[in-house]
Amino acid sequence: MKLLLIEDENHLAKDISHYLNSKDVHCEWANNFEIALEKINAYDYDCVLLDLTLPDSNGMDILKAIKKQQKNEGIIIISAKDTLESRLEGLALGADDYLTKPFHLSELLARVQAIIRRKQFSGNNVLVFNEIEIDTFAKTVKVNQENIDLTKKEFDLLLYLIGNKNRVLSKSSLAEHLSGDMADMLDNHDFVYAHIKNLKRKLQNAGAGDYIKTIYGTGYKWEA
Amino acid sequence: MGSINQAKTQKLLNQTLRGYLLFSVLILLISMPFAYFLMQKLHLDDIDEALFLRKKEFQAYHLPTFRLSEISQWNKYNRDTKLIDTLKIPQKDSLFFQSFYDELDKEVEPYRVLFVPVEIEKKPFLLLIKHNLIENEDLIFNILGLYAGLLLFLLLGLLGLTQYFSKRLWQPFYQTLQQIETFELGKTAAPNFEQTQTEEFERLNTVLQNLIEKSISIFQNQKEFIENAAHELQTPLAVLQAKLDVFLQMPDLSQTQMQALDSLYDLLARLNRLNKNLLLLSKIDKQIFHTLENIKLKEVIENQISFFEEQALQKNITLIINNLENKWVQANLTLIEILISNLLLNAIRHNHENGKISISLSHQKLIISNTGQANALPANKLFQRFAKIDTSTQGNGLGLAIIKKIADLYGWEVAYTFENELHVFEVVFE
Repeated sequence: MKLLLIEDENHLAKDISHYLNSKDVHCEWANNFEIALEKINAYDYDCVLLDLTLPDSNGMDILKAIKKQQKNEGIIIISAKDTLESRLEGLALGADDYLTKPFHLSELLARVQAIIRRKQFSGNNVLVFNEIEIDTFAKTVKVNQENIDLTKKEFDLLLYLIGNKNRVLSKSSLAEHLSGDMADMLDNHDFVYAHIKNLKRKLQNAGAGDYIKTIYGTGYKWEA
Repeated sequence: MGSINQAKTQKLLNQTLRGYLLFSVLILLISMPFAYFLMQKLHLDDIDEALFLRKKEFQAYHLPTFRLSEISQWNKYNRDTKLIDTLKIPQKDSLFFQSFYDELDKEVEPYRVLFVPVEIEKKPFLLLIKHNLIENEDLIFNILGLYAGLLLFLLLGLLGLTQYFSKRLWQPFYQTLQQIETFELGKTAAPNFEQTQTEEFERLNTVLQNLIEKSISIFQNQKEFIENAAHELQTPLAVLQAKLDVFLQMPDLSQTQMQALDSLYDLLARLNRLNKNLLLLSKIDKQIFHTLENIKLKEVIENQISFFEEQALQKNITLIINNLENKWVQANLTLIEILISNLLLNAIRHNHENGKISISLSHQKLIISNTGQANALPANKLFQRFAKIDTSTQGNGLGLAIIKKIADLYGWEVAYTFENELHVFEVVFE
């Protein structure tokens, strides 16, 4: 899987590519409009991460330029601009998702995976992890071919954990994933613990392995 | 303007008029007796002069040829000039007031009398010349009446004219006053004062215009500063968050390191919240949330309730939903969601373990009450930015300021009361 990150903030770009890079994900980086366009012309990407504010161009122009190529990559806008207008404009121009800075890298990875799932496996939305089978379209989970009953939050949590497998997730990143913008308003993120506990219990009761590890009571990890 | 002062204040115009009126009435009252006496004196002088003239006439035309035998005849035909034979004859001419009985009117009437010693055929006589004062009194009163009428007329004219001129003269002032009264910093445009011919008002308008423009520009700068600062903070916050996320992936982190990271995440979340709230406030100021729609408040509350129930559960707080009426409002949905979630989060945040929160919605108001600290909160500080009342919680002091701002936007009122150990927040519609 190939990603192109268009971002002028070097520190952020480095950390994003560091987090996203893995065995099956390769992340390239362009820090201005010119390089970005060159790369898009030369290669095919599965997903483009686009910062709207670049020194030499308006991000929306890049979006138009990418769309002109008529390739099938997914596009996620990552922007500090958080207005309904810029969100709508971005989506109208053909972006698939819009993520406001600051965001958790785990959230970004989950969004990338969701888009790639949508783009690549049209019709077939089943994600398999050992004995666990997740139908992302029907929102059902099977363990050893047996359906298990999860709440919407537990389902989201499972998908998020597996998407970020072998990475430690902070409570605040899980809280944000589960409650969206509301997470910012919350004093503490302890409610995450209850959901994790329930998910863990349901998976184990169905005979799945104990993949969810608690790291010193503050973070969580799906260990493969 | 406070309502207490208002009862005592009077219009400028009325105050000036009252001064004029008092002065005029005073002058009128003082001048009336004075004018009466003056006029009486003038008139008496006139009568006396006439009496002396008649004496002169008598002495010139009648006396040289007058005979004693003619006296009875003369007295018979002259009512007001008589010759009297008496012993009490003064040495020189003398004037008196004397009353005589009038045969015609059958009453005693006042007269002005001139006694003149005369000699007819070497025999001394008293010449009596008199003038009836009754008609003269009438005349004086008529004149005085006319005088009073004139004065009154003058006064009324003066009043009317003052009123007219003052109104016209002060009109620019009242216009300016009205314009400043309706002006609200950050909400209405700067007032445009009309040009006036009066120098003082023109000066006032210029000074006000400058003052208002300066205030607007300072206000604008401040708003932009907050917005820019909050906006600029987003990138370093994003970098910081990404760094923490990467740091968290380091192998073999110790428990202390993990706990330190955890509190860094908490701090970062607070920083993010603060920044988002600041951005939200300036967005409301910039009227970014201008799209209105018809919103059923009950639905917004019900949609959010499960989220808050989950949050309340951690402190074992009971959420009681009372009667929710079908109240519709025309507002921006995002802002209404923020309003309600801020109210509920506040009720959870400042609550104690095993506390209670109750929500009710009528057509008039939305009431959210919660248990919490045992004393009332200082209502005057509550809705100000960064007025942290309860330092033990992680609120950033912007939640209520945002609630107030949203309510203000739609002309609603937010009220706080402390009743029966409950902190009650009300949003009163209309």
